[in-house]
Amino acid sequence: MAERNLDSVKKIREAVSQDLLGGRISQVLGWEKGHYWWQSRPLFARSEADLEKLTWDSFCVINLSRYLLEELKDHEKVGVLVKGCDARAFNRLLQDNMVKREQVILYGLPCPGMLDYNRLCEEAGAVPDGIVENNGTVVLKTDGGEKEVQREDIMLDKCRECVYPDPAAYDQMLLSPQGEREAAERFKPVEELEELPADERFAYWEKELSRCLRCYACRQACPFCSCRECFVEQENPRWQGRAYQPSENFMFHLVRAYHGTGRCIDCGECERSCPVDIPLQELNRKLIKDINELYGDYEAGLDAEAEPPLLTYRPDDPAAFSEK
Amino acid sequence: MSAALNDNTAGWEPLIVSFCCNWCSYAGGDLAGTSRMTYPANVKVIRVPCSGRINPMFVLRAFQRGADGVLVAGCHPGDCHYTSGNYQSRRRLSAFKRLVEFAGFEPERFEVRWISSSEGDKFAEEMTEMTEKIKALGPNGKMRDARWQSVI
Amino acid sequence: MPRTGVFICHCGSNIAGTVDIDQALEASRNFPGVVHADEYRYLCSEVGQDIIKKAIEEYNLDRVVVGTCSPRMHENTFRKAAAEAGLNPYLLEVANIREHCSWVHKDMEVGTPKAIALLRAAAAKAALNDPLEAPELDVEKRALVIGGGIAGIQAALDIAEAGYIVDLVEKDPSIGGRMAQLEKTFPTLDCSACILTPKMVEAAQHPNINLMTYCEIDEVKGFVGQFDVTIKQKARYVDPVKCTGCGICWEKCPSKTPSEFEMGMTKRKSIYVPFPQAVPMIPVIDRERCLYFKKGRCQICEKECPPQAIDYEQQDEYIERRYGAIVVATGYDQLDPSVYGEYGYGQHPDILTGLEFERLFNASGPTGGKVVRLSDGKPPKKVVFIQCVGSRDKARGMNYCSKICCMFTAKQAILLKEKVPEAKSYVFYIDVRTAGKGYEEFQRRAAEEYDVAYMRGQVGKIFPEDDYLVVRGVDSLSGRNIEIKADMVVLAAASIARHDAPDLGRLIGINSDSYHFFNEAHPKLKPVETHTAGIFIAGACQAPKDIPDSVAQASAAAVKAVGLLSKEKLLGEACTAEVDHSQCSGCLNCEAICPYTAITPVELEERYKDGTLQRTVAEVNPALCQGCGSCTVTCRSGSINLKGFSNEQILAEVDAICLQR
Repeated sequence: MAERNLDSVKKIREAVSQDLLGGRISQVLGWEKGHYWWQSRPLFARSEADLEKLTWDSFCVINLSRYLLEELKDHEKVGVLVKGCDARAFNRLLQDNMVKREQVILYGLPCPGMLDYNRLCEEAGAVPDGIVENNGTVVLKTDGGEKEVQREDIMLDKCRECVYPDPAAYDQMLLSPQGEREAAERFKPVEELEELPADERFAYWEKELSRCLRCYACRQACPFCSCRECFVEQENPRWQGRAYQPSENFMFHLVRAYHGTGRCIDCGECERSCPVDIPLQELNRKLIKDINELYGDYEAGLDAEAEPPLLTYRPDDPAAFSEK
Repeated sequence: MSAALNDNTAGWEPLIVSFCCNWCSYAGGDLAGTSRMTYPANVKVIRVPCSGRINPMFVLRAFQRGADGVLVAGCHPGDCHYTSGNYQSRRRLSAFKRLVEFAGFEPERFEVRWISSSEGDKFAEEMTEMTEKIKALGPNGKMRDARWQSVI
Repeated sequence: MPRTGVFICHCGSNIAGTVDIDQALEASRNFPGVVHADEYRYLCSEVGQDIIKKAIEEYNLDRVVVGTCSPRMHENTFRKAAAEAGLNPYLLEVANIREHCSWVHKDMEVGTPKAIALLRAAAAKAALNDPLEAPELDVEKRALVIGGGIAGIQAALDIAEAGYIVDLVEKDPSIGGRMAQLEKTFPTLDCSACILTPKMVEAAQHPNINLMTYCEIDEVKGFVGQFDVTIKQKARYVDPVKCTGCGICWEKCPSKTPSEFEMGMTKRKSIYVPFPQAVPMIPVIDRERCLYFKKGRCQICEKECPPQAIDYEQQDEYIERRYGAIVVATGYDQLDPSVYGEYGYGQHPDILTGLEFERLFNASGPTGGKVVRLSDGKPPKKVVFIQCVGSRDKARGMNYCSKICCMFTAKQAILLKEKVPEAKSYVFYIDVRTAGKGYEEFQRRAAEEYDVAYMRGQVGKIFPEDDYLVVRGVDSLSGRNIEIKADMVVLAAASIARHDAPDLGRLIGINSDSYHFFNEAHPKLKPVETHTAGIFIAGACQAPKDIPDSVAQASAAAVKAVGLLSKEKLLGEACTAEVDHSQCSGCLNCEAICPYTAITPVELEERYKDGTLQRTVAEVNPALCQGCGSCTVTCRSGSINLKGFSNEQILAEVDAICLQR
């Protein structure tokens, strides 16, 4: 456990226990430690005892807002801890009418960025026994000793590229804000791909998508995928063939990405959840980039009141066709 | 990709699926016919009420099943029979076109055109141009599903 | 499995000339679900329809595919036939093997396989057709006529006479339109005002006509039978109830501005009626020009008005009304010929357009009815008329013929000779077109009795020299160069769509041709209908036309409107969207994009564990839905589908067309 987080955890517990034990909410969605020290998993806290398990560390990566889809059926009112991306996800769900604002208390947690287990191991040269976080650096403890590394270097890609670590929606902000981060070059991989000749680009995607297991974890993790029945599961019409064919992989991934046009909050959970490392963010970001270029800057999830770009139009909109 | 598909010389003719809105482009197609204009028979038109009806999944399905090009045609922006259908399809299909290009399709494979009911000549020209462009590109094997590759 | 019957029409040789009917029949028999296939020379004929009807009974068909002309032509014919045989009409599909196949291809080898592909797609779609019912809709027994020219007046009068209330909306302060600007009308030389003014008065006094001048259309929503229209009544700053039309205000008004009615050739006051016979005889204050509005001083009209009708505080008002039918009769504009630099229009006061020249004959016009040169007030001795200025000119103007110019030029040349007997007219033309009753005779009279010189050719340059205008042209029949020292030049400027036609078309939801003239639903068989049910067009807003044609078209549009208004109920759109509530997640993105506000959220109660759960889902009001299907694309899960053009049907068509690969 990271030393510096003890104060924060105490603060968070105090705030949510007031509401939970005071009866304002009947459940809190937070994180607890998992089987390993480098895992923090969702916690559904309903009692004081549950709250004891509540944690806030550099591994609370799982987006909690999506759990509201089910949890709000059983609870009148629920509290949720939200990082920047969880809050954007919440706004996304709110815009899709999937949650009711009055049923939820959002506890804002400005996010320092979550750490990447694989990078930790790489840097340490072995599986570390634990870490100690300092200001901007992390000390990796292994049998062989300690190694101090820049925190930024061992963060998850999606967190390194995150622009909005502070929650865009909250009822209470529990910790002090991080401030907007430097807009990382999140579109760079997209631009590099755009430079390739069409056939090479196709070959790239054919190779990447060939790994797809069609487990649909990307969809399950995604806050914009909130359909009751996904197109891939529909019998009639059968949009998505069940057969394991490259063309069906394209069908799924292009349509999944397209369904996020103007809706993807760029949280990166799809890619992080993918067991075979398909660069799904590149598809999502291609759409974010193009929508911004064509129809003006829009960051999904930042403002629940802003009109999503595919639900509106301007008569003088540009087009991407060879005839304008 | 099968050899037959790649064989551009053995009388290969492209298949172009065109989705046309009922009120403008399909009527433009009717006018092309009434005026006895000619365009290649490679183009097969599917009538839909509005370009706003075009689900990008229809386009991908056409590619899976063997279309070499897909052309969506609708009323000119501002002239939609349903007021805003083509404004909406303009946004959707612009994003989608860029996405399929990003996936590796040549830009010519998927196009959108605005053709009014009085533009029989434009209808014939666009269908001809699309066919020529696709002929120049050759058969599309991208996303073409092996299960529907047999040539009847 | 459906029991589909396929019927292929030869259309004489129209289809059979390019499509091998036997081969298409043979192929059709092998389509999934096809149990019967037949052909006939003219399927749309009674005999042809009977073949279909009998086969439906004999073979117990539950789907019908016809391979014929465009569904936009005969879909209804065949649907009716199917319905007469007891089949739901929406179980019939049309394969367009004429307009989209036999007419655009030349060879059987090409046309036949394509026709088969189109038939296969139609059969695949038909297999998934569901029986549909069109909803019944109410009809608001009130009509809206937009435009108060001769066409609008005629349409309003005819509808009113049939017993329905009509709102006649005119953007100008008076009705009358272009016809009010004319001195005489061809080929009878009736005085325009003498035949128009009584109509204007009749419209104003008709108990069923509600005259709404100085009004503009602000918004049109709804659909046939129930158009919800917002009309903007621009502030007149004159109380129409108090005003007696005495004219003291405009007599006393000290500020002047070019008169629109007189094509800017003379001035009007800031408080004005556009012309002396205006209906209603109630002035308006031009806010842009009025000294009081500009500088806060003057108020002479207010002081002088005997019944104290001036009201500077008046505001624009927005009136919302529902109409069952709309007639659009918004007329035309005259092309500004200054784009033709060689004619020198706008450079010299004696180079006029046809409409400007017309005003010189009028007693209340800029010259008091004297035909004189605006430069020096002398009567012209030689007048050159140039035809097709902007018409029939692919390069710089309009491709079309403006239709009225040959005739009004002949008329003006005759009138000129009567007013100025010593005057000589020269007409440069491409062709003289005089189709119309009495038109050819009229034009011959101009040439033969009124000494009008017709010269086939074009004018290359006009320039002033001394006190005349040198007109240089070529007589294309003789090849000679011609030079005429003219006193005046009259340009027959093209009739073009009104400058605001594109905006108006968008506002009311009708489409236009490439020149922005409003489109009729069918060039021959539906000349006054538009593609938007319940909206009709009349007069020069559809294409250039003369008065008799405009009036005839107006009466035709009126009959169509009356026919609609006389119905108790209308059948609405059967192909509407519908929501599968069990799948709908209630994101309501469909509600956001529906142009007809036909989608609303509804609450559902669902079993959940031991109790129930409230859930929001989308619901379509079939009376409002027009069937565009845009919602279906917004719906990621496909929970909202369009009847008649469902996801399943379109995919089946795609699959069937691609099957040839």
